[in-house]
Amino acid sequence: MAGPRRVLTLIAGAALFVSACGGAASPSPSSGGAASAPASAGESTGASAPAASSGVPAGTKITVTSLWGGSEQEAFQKVLDAFKAKTGIEATYQAQRTDYATVLQNKIQGGNPPDVAIMPGLGFLRQFAASGGIKKISDLGIDTTALESNYPPGLLDPGKVNGELYGLMVKFNSKSTFWYAPSKVSTPPKTWDDLKSTLDSLGGQPLAVGAKDSWTLTDWFEEIYLRQNGADAYKKLFSKDGDWTDGTAAKAIQTMLEVVNDKYVTGGIKGALNTAFTDAIGQIYGKNAKSSLFYEGGFVGGIATGQINKDLKIPSDIDWFDFPSLGGAGDGAAEIGGDEIAALTTNPGVKEFIQFMTDPESGTTWAKTGAIISPIKAVGQDAYPNDLAKKEAAQVAGASAVVYDGSDTLPAGAPDMGAMLQKAIQGQDPTGLLKDFNDGVKSAWESES
Amino acid sequence: MTANPQPIQATPAPRGGGKLAVERDKPATLLLFLGPAVVLLLVFLVYPVIYTLRMSVDRGLGGNFSRFVGLDNYASLLRTPSFVHSIENNVLWIIFYVTFVIILGLIIAVIAMRVSYEAIIKAIVFLPMAIAATALGVIWAFVYAYDSNIGLLNALLAAINVGPIAWLGDSSIANSALIAVGVWGSTGFATVILSAALKGIPTEIIEAARTDGANEFQIFWRIILPMVSLPISVLAVTLIVNVIKLFDIPYVMTNGGPGDSTRVIAFELYKQDLSAGQYGKAAAVAVVMLVILIPVMIFNIRRFRSEAVV
Repeated sequence: MAGPRRVLTLIAGAALFVSACGGAASPSPSSGGAASAPASAGESTGASAPAASSGVPAGTKITVTSLWGGSEQEAFQKVLDAFKAKTGIEATYQAQRTDYATVLQNKIQGGNPPDVAIMPGLGFLRQFAASGGIKKISDLGIDTTALESNYPPGLLDPGKVNGELYGLMVKFNSKSTFWYAPSKVSTPPKTWDDLKSTLDSLGGQPLAVGAKDSWTLTDWFEEIYLRQNGADAYKKLFSKDGDWTDGTAAKAIQTMLEVVNDKYVTGGIKGALNTAFTDAIGQIYGKNAKSSLFYEGGFVGGIATGQINKDLKIPSDIDWFDFPSLGGAGDGAAEIGGDEIAALTTNPGVKEFIQFMTDPESGTTWAKTGAIISPIKAVGQDAYPNDLAKKEAAQVAGASAVVYDGSDTLPAGAPDMGAMLQKAIQGQDPTGLLKDFNDGVKSAWESES
Repeated sequence: MTANPQPIQATPAPRGGGKLAVERDKPATLLLFLGPAVVLLLVFLVYPVIYTLRMSVDRGLGGNFSRFVGLDNYASLLRTPSFVHSIENNVLWIIFYVTFVIILGLIIAVIAMRVSYEAIIKAIVFLPMAIAATALGVIWAFVYAYDSNIGLLNALLAAINVGPIAWLGDSSIANSALIAVGVWGSTGFATVILSAALKGIPTEIIEAARTDGANEFQIFWRIILPMVSLPISVLAVTLIVNVIKLFDIPYVMTNGGPGDSTRVIAFELYKQDLSAGQYGKAAAVAVVMLVILIPVMIFNIRRFRSEAVV
């Protein structure tokens, strides 16, 4: 018996070995992709055959990395499939769910960067641009002035570093959406005072806040600051010339504390600090919902209906209103958070991919999944699959001014703005906190250059 | 095992073989025996330390030596409130984590010795050691959850109409809550080490003490404790090193919050500096950690030299 069994083991071992080699070979880095057309693609003509439109050999492979998983990744894969169908170039997606920028930095330093990265946070875009990790869009041979007309005015500005275009916004969400449970809130509040009287009349602690994820607090602050001071002052605050100690930031924090306090917040401030962002969505849209109002960006809709509670009906169970007006210069403006695409190599296929991502075709394909709002002008309202997304696209399109998420534009070495706000809602004096914060931000701006 | 408690000498005398003793002094032999270790030390210890020291006085843009900045990185660390706070938190960890782990470990080891189901007790206490620290953090984040439908502790409190308590949402108790998790995770380790040390105490000594009329408390304080003092100090050093390196529990459970109330040095290094691309500052934090650890290591080596290892 021992004989045949040993032979079987050998065969099995050999099979494992072969498959292991095969597995290792398939996600090979893209740098040599042009030369080695994979047999699986079935290209009989070999590497010299150009694809119909791109002028790049069919079978060329590039790698694209971002931080999406789950439903977001599936949606993006549809865009990659459309790209392959159009150009014959295969773009492989690599997800990096956490610590995105750190891993990317290490890959750049190790000399093995992905070809294309889609990154959140402009601090990192600037940092990578300064260290030479990412290429200028113009270095790829793309006409950047011609691109401008594809986008609403100013939308490409966040991707510029020292006037040079390094990143292109490929998707965004509005951050000016205030979510509510229509069954409990009959008339959505329009002004800040309306919001407070709505909270009073609802009673209990109706406002869900997921302050354990401190970035939710930075969004609160930004919305209020934008409305009180207008888009120009907002942009200045989050730039090198920003002054956090001139009283406007302190006023915005004080305004925020008028509703983010023990009286209105579900579970009180301490409870909120013990509640993660997605758990807070559960507090308003889960099966045992206790809360009636919740502030966060447009992406809440997808998470609530896709992950938290699949029985939610739009718009009878879930809907949003514009972030309440505060009677300042920025009422009617919208804040967005978005991701920028950037090239890390100039390998064949990279230019074509970036070009494709600026095309209404990619925008429409992606918008149809319901996962994103496309910044590309030619993507029409009918591309969006549900009313929440349509409304979100219309809100930004009709805004008096559009600004980018401020905390994402701060330098990467700045103090943790969310942590600062976590202290503020616990009752620490905003003036003192802002002074320390201002010092830290200033030195981070200095050390960036 | 218990029959021969004779301590192993730190430097065992070579038995016989005078030939070996002669060859020991030949340069070729020295090279053969020391070479591999020296090479490994140079590559994996000396070079990284020098590199880190050099990086800590550099701007470190993009992870390269970009601009010499002197002690700027250290000065800027001292001006960073969250860094100062992280050191305070590490000190709290050292005091409470190390003390509780050793006391609980000793109590469990002493009590377990006197019962017939010792192995079961030790297995249960040791079990958390087998759980990865990140998993430990996830489990305890659930235990501490604010919603009593999720959080075990708040569910228990709700049963007696108390709470809920925001274990991780209250700046004044969050760090203690994390230390408790660390204690839970490490007590088994201390129990096993101390239990082995206790078994190394000759039974004759304890029997003699009993015969002389010493009660159990006297035996514990006058005989057992002094005889396990070396294992305890080794254990304390190991635990202190663990604390200085501590990262996973705060990272998984609170992400340093609320505010910066649960930040520790290694977390600060990662979050504020390394993942922000501030390689120079990150290296400066690493050097600070090294400097904190050096006296602990010197103490440890001295003890090893002065006394035999149990």
